[in-house]
Amino acid sequence: MSQKKYGIVLDAKKCLNCKACTVACKFENGVEVGDEQYRIWVAEKELKGTFPNLRLDFEPSQCQHCENTPCASVCPTSATYKTDEGVVLIDYKKCIICKACMTACPYDARFVSEVHNAIEKCTFCYHRLPEGREPACVETCPTKVRVFGDLNDPNSKAAKLLAKHDTYQLKPEKNTRPRLFYIIK
Amino acid sequence: MSAHDTETKQGMVAALKSLITFNKDIPVMPLILIGLVLAGIGAVTAVIVLVKGHEQMYAVNREVPWGMLIGTYAYFVITSTGLAFIGGLGHAFGFENFAKIGRRIVVLATLVLLAGFTQILMELGHPVRMIIWMMLSPNFTAPILWMGVFYSIELVILALELYYAFKAHPTEKDHRTAAMLGFAAMVVGTLATSNLGFVFGSLTARPWLYGVHFPLFLVVSGITAGAALLMLVHNIAYRFSIPEEFKPSMNALAKLMGGGIGIMMLMYVWKFLTSIFTQPAGSYESAMALIAGPLAANFWIGEMLLAVIIPLLLLVTAKGNTTRYGIAGLVFMIGLYFTRVNYIVAGQMPVMRAATDGSGVHANVNGLAIYSPSIAEWGIFLLGIGAAMFMYFSAEKFLDLKTPEHH
Repeated sequence: MSQKKYGIVLDAKKCLNCKACTVACKFENGVEVGDEQYRIWVAEKELKGTFPNLRLDFEPSQCQHCENTPCASVCPTSATYKTDEGVVLIDYKKCIICKACMTACPYDARFVSEVHNAIEKCTFCYHRLPEGREPACVETCPTKVRVFGDLNDPNSKAAKLLAKHDTYQLKPEKNTRPRLFYIIK
Repeated sequence: MSAHDTETKQGMVAALKSLITFNKDIPVMPLILIGLVLAGIGAVTAVIVLVKGHEQMYAVNREVPWGMLIGTYAYFVITSTGLAFIGGLGHAFGFENFAKIGRRIVVLATLVLLAGFTQILMELGHPVRMIIWMMLSPNFTAPILWMGVFYSIELVILALELYYAFKAHPTEKDHRTAAMLGFAAMVVGTLATSNLGFVFGSLTARPWLYGVHFPLFLVVSGITAGAALLMLVHNIAYRFSIPEEFKPSMNALAKLMGGGIGIMMLMYVWKFLTSIFTQPAGSYESAMALIAGPLAANFWIGEMLLAVIIPLLLLVTAKGNTTRYGIAGLVFMIGLYFTRVNYIVAGQMPVMRAATDGSGVHANVNGLAIYSPSIAEWGIFLLGIGAAMFMYFSAEKFLDLKTPEHH
């Protein structure tokens, strides 16, 4: 069997902007209060059309768990690393808060955590995965915008969605090869 | 303790004592005291920062993680390696005009480097962890790791150069060793500075910083800064009336500085043209932030007027007047500070995600990130400036920095 390759397929059209994912993430991971301290976000996209024919879309996002990881490349102490499944994590005790990873990340997915006294970001709720549980943002979403799974397992829902739909990734020109795929409709 | 040991110890004490020169007629006491006061303010700030935490005290933020302290660090360490480069020209390549001021060069390079270290130590969240984990789990692809390696080696080389610069009765072999050390300081210093440029130049996420420009610009502007600072301190040490014997050295430094500013101007032209022409995403916003945006005053007054136009005019019209050289050096060193902070901040002003509702991104109405240094950051800046002034002018007062004749 091939190596696991975790990723998320998102159908942003289903997003209600209820922000339940951001709240779940904060609770699950003990992220401190503060407007700079967040692991995931739901950004409003530009208002489309002219009145009365208007459309407002949302783009939920987080660390892209890039295959080509600029954040890990610049980390002097190897505090940022990638697991065998391709999840990008931070070993807090090794982090010196030089903030090179923050400047290297094209997605602004990292911040300084006073809880961990280190740089923090989305971990795909790595601590839940051995229990067979999905990341908190995925589990809590009422419309199932995010589908998490092993992209190398053809039977996983995420892999099936990826096969069925055309998708795009954020900032492909940066050649980071993100593990988050947005469905095009 | 044997009689021989006692004799050796007494010999060492005598050698150290012989380095100290009292009652030297150099007007630097006020500068030593100013340095001490500034460093004291900085030290108090440092204690407050360590107690309250960086996050509470510094204005750097999620969008602009690197601010004034990284700029101040770059300002000092790049100037130091520029000085070492000039020292190398003197010791290793036979530029007698620079060899004649070799002692002052190596002292200044060492102390300016140490002043730079105060900034990075107060900027990093965990400087102690850095020393431990850079050794236990180094990431060899990380430019910051190499920055640590190169600047550490540079400090060791400078310490050895200091030893030979002050060694009583140097032999011919000592001169050869000093020449090799000068060459090593030049090479390692250039690697250190260009690698520091790569710390920024490696960031594909930040188009303004990405690329070959800054690794080269920092080397050129560092050598220029070395020449500027040397002309300034010589003027201070000799009360703006430099003795004839050093005038050829000052003329050579003025030429080096003028040439350096010329190359900087050329690099500015092409950096800005490539960043503005057809509006390339990211670097265009950074360039415009400098030319006509939130950094415009810093750019036009600090970076252009003080670090390019005025010093160049002073040098061109000096006609051998060393006082003008000194003023040019002072004005350049003030302007260069803006240069250092500007490019780092400008590179981070274009936000990585649009600052729409829910994005969490903070930006101004033009969509640029917001950063203005906090009082604590200014305090740590004073620590660096004060430490540099206190250490160097104390050396000027209590050590003989005039290079002995050796040819």
